[in-house]
Amino acid sequence: MDSTLQRAAELLSQARLPVFGGLFTDVKGAAAALSLARKLGGVVDHAASEGTSRAARVMRETGATPASFGEVRNRADTIVVIGSMPRTRDPKLLDKLFPTGATLPRPGDNKRELIVVGSKKGKTPSGVRVTEIGGKNALPELVALLAAAVREGPFDIRDSALAKKILSAGERLRNSAFAVFVYDPAELDEPVLHTVLEAVRHLVKTTRAATLSLSAPGNGEGVNLCSTWTCGLPVRTSFAGGVPENNMWAYETRRLLKSNEADALVWIDALDGEEATPPARSFRGVPAVVLSSRPVQAGRDDVVIEVGAAAADHDAAVFLPQIAGIGMVKATAANSKKPTVAEVLSRIEALIDAKGAA
Amino acid sequence: MLVKLEGGRIIDPAHNRDAVGDLYLQDGRIVEKPEGREPDEVHDVSGKIVMAGAIDVHSHIAGSNVTLGRQLMPELPLLAAAEGQPILPSPAAWGSYATGLRYAQMGYTTVIEPAMIPTHAIQAQTELASIPIIDVAGLVVLGNDDYTLNLLRKGDAKSDELKDYVAWTLAHSKAIGLKVINAGGSEAFKFNARTFDLDEQVPAYGVTSRGIVEAMQKAVADLRVPHPPHVHINNLGIAGNVDTAVATLKATQGLPIHMAHIQFYGYGKEGDKGFSSGAPRLMEAINKHKNATVDVGQVLFGQTITISGDILRQFDGRRAANPKKWIINQGDGNGTGLVPYKYKKKSFVNALQWAIGLEIFLLAGDLWRVLFSTDHPNGALFTRYPEIFHLLMDKNERSRWFDSLPEATRQVSTLGSISRELTLSELAIITRAAPAKLLGLTDRGHLAPGAIADVAVYTNRRDKTKMFSAADLVFKSGKLVVRKGDVVDVTWGRCYHVDPGFDSQIKRRVKAFYDTYYGADPSWFGVTEAVSDRPDRFATIRCAS
Ligand SMILES: [Zn+2]
Repeated sequence: MDSTLQRAAELLSQARLPVFGGLFTDVKGAAAALSLARKLGGVVDHAASEGTSRAARVMRETGATPASFGEVRNRADTIVVIGSMPRTRDPKLLDKLFPTGATLPRPGDNKRELIVVGSKKGKTPSGVRVTEIGGKNALPELVALLAAAVREGPFDIRDSALAKKILSAGERLRNSAFAVFVYDPAELDEPVLHTVLEAVRHLVKTTRAATLSLSAPGNGEGVNLCSTWTCGLPVRTSFAGGVPENNMWAYETRRLLKSNEADALVWIDALDGEEATPPARSFRGVPAVVLSSRPVQAGRDDVVIEVGAAAADHDAAVFLPQIAGIGMVKATAANSKKPTVAEVLSRIEALIDAKGAA
Repeated sequence: MLVKLEGGRIIDPAHNRDAVGDLYLQDGRIVEKPEGREPDEVHDVSGKIVMAGAIDVHSHIAGSNVTLGRQLMPELPLLAAAEGQPILPSPAAWGSYATGLRYAQMGYTTVIEPAMIPTHAIQAQTELASIPIIDVAGLVVLGNDDYTLNLLRKGDAKSDELKDYVAWTLAHSKAIGLKVINAGGSEAFKFNARTFDLDEQVPAYGVTSRGIVEAMQKAVADLRVPHPPHVHINNLGIAGNVDTAVATLKATQGLPIHMAHIQFYGYGKEGDKGFSSGAPRLMEAINKHKNATVDVGQVLFGQTITISGDILRQFDGRRAANPKKWIINQGDGNGTGLVPYKYKKKSFVNALQWAIGLEIFLLAGDLWRVLFSTDHPNGALFTRYPEIFHLLMDKNERSRWFDSLPEATRQVSTLGSISRELTLSELAIITRAAPAKLLGLTDRGHLAPGAIADVAVYTNRRDKTKMFSAADLVFKSGKLVVRKGDVVDVTWGRCYHVDPGFDSQIKRRVKAFYDTYYGADPSWFGVTEAVSDRPDRFATIRCAS
């Protein structure tokens, strides 16, 4: 183990711009990666950061109107599910959002309704009225039409049956006591995210409304939060200059590898039950240090370190949608001796420090 | 190791001390002069001012709300620095690491994060653990959560269940005390209320704000938590709200209460503009109610962001967002509103807010009950405290600022006629001794033998801004961490919390509640030692029995 870590330290201290990618890890693993990246002047990214980066940019530009999962399931009277990803990502989503048991007191006396936009309604909870807004139109167009209907703005489509549905959905939303739009930011482009936000902001002038953004896989939100309290910025941030800099295009792992701007990769994939999609063509072309909880195919010169899977081999703080925040998940495997990502990275950092001091 | 600070002017209002003398530090504590032993290290501090490390009772430095603010506005330090505010122009400048260093440079050694969300306590405590040097503690927020409201609806306020629930929440989040933010108002917002008063009822629950605060005060008193709930009362920021503050004080019926950022409630509605200083009336009431302490929430002109669990107020405040962006986060319990804000010297209202805050300090009959704060970052960034010390200690500096305010503000403010200048001892009361007393942290805020060796040494200057921006020396738990304003050693502090004890039945009830309504398990958000890798991270403050 020691010689492997020594090789990793060697490889990384020679790198000009190492990129810390994958980052499917717990909060402590993320903190250790951020610490090392800052020391080395590297970049941090996450394998599922496409959606979180878009959401982050929209937030920086104009803000956000999120609601917690608990507020939505207990109090929303109209839930709009946009696109197909929310239910693909969590097949039980609708059951969770429309619980059959007791709920907390909620505003208004509307019956609860579901509006599905841009995908088939599929199986829906019984007793919930469902409207499907779909057809041939693309998702961004459907969202724009619904937003126009909410605002009672100008409206022009040929399909009169669809038009009627959308207008009635807009009216229902205006008459809701608490309307919530559910989506996965990885499925929506930024203009669509803006459109949804503006619809919510129109509604809150007279009633309650919010968004529920599906959390990214691989503890994407947890890693982002940790990055933000550490350096003030989410992932896709570079520490190469004196001041950390965030750029969702420039500091994306694949682009950095493809353009040869990054000359070393630290790939971290160590969460129970989730696997980070590696950058194209395995790790070839760039020297890599791979911290993984599962067997990996790596190049001859790459340094591969087996680590424990967070939440299986060790307790792990990760983002939990049910509490809309970071929570602690207990390890399922007792007595695992595998090191954590945080431990391995801290030891590598100590070795690099020792080198610097020598 | 024995350290001697030789010949400084020791200012220790907790012991009525303001005299030249020596101070000895050993093993992290202040000690008596040891007989027959030479110190291992001597610092000549003759001509310098020696105070206990400062304690901040109200500063939003960690947790999901603060980090949401960082996500909304990473450019805050850049905008502030561009205006000349003392902060580095980097998004990292309001991150955890920089926060600890900057506080230490100013001579602060203990800071209280005043609004941990129970379900997000792990994030708050993880963030706090990543702030170097300073000791910390967190207040946990209750009073708009459905568990509490459900108990109060059932009329169980007097039964032990609320007391147990409060105790369980304090222990579960490793908090030092309780915070109540616009009691019932945030819950009412969920039912589309847009205003909420002391005696209004929470929809569906029937309980009033007054009822919630009173129940919480009783629970905390019964649990013998060494300090009262910190209450952010109703009607923040609204003209005429001094009535609410006075009514709330009356409602306490002598039970201890700490009222947060009271400046934001010092507003009358007199005059052409319907907005006036209520500070004289407010201070008359505070001076009279000896069961009450307050922190001020002073504002300074410039760019900042407001972060508050008073979602109802923040929702209304969104229209004043500058830059024009905002977050209304409808979370469990209180939720949060985040609104960037720029206090403008040319604004009648902002200028009056500035003057009202200073009036509150200067009209205080008992400074032991009027504590320093800006409600960072809500009134001003904490990096600007020295400017406020300057304003409080130097009436010429105050006039210089006052004279540049709008004519309309100067006409209605009494600040110009107040000549009081706080002394160094008085400053040490509002920034050291009184906060320690309020929090029940008996081992700090003073310089008697036995106290923790948190010591700040300053060069006495006319320019108090300069004096307090960079301490000459700062010792944290006996270790020298700052020299000539530079951090020379990055140490790690501890987190203080209470654990008053509860009937374990409450665990089962809370578990059932979260399972039913949230599909969640309370163990997920229970704070354990594991949030930090340092084995002595947590220290328990005893609740008297
Ligand atoms: Zn506050």
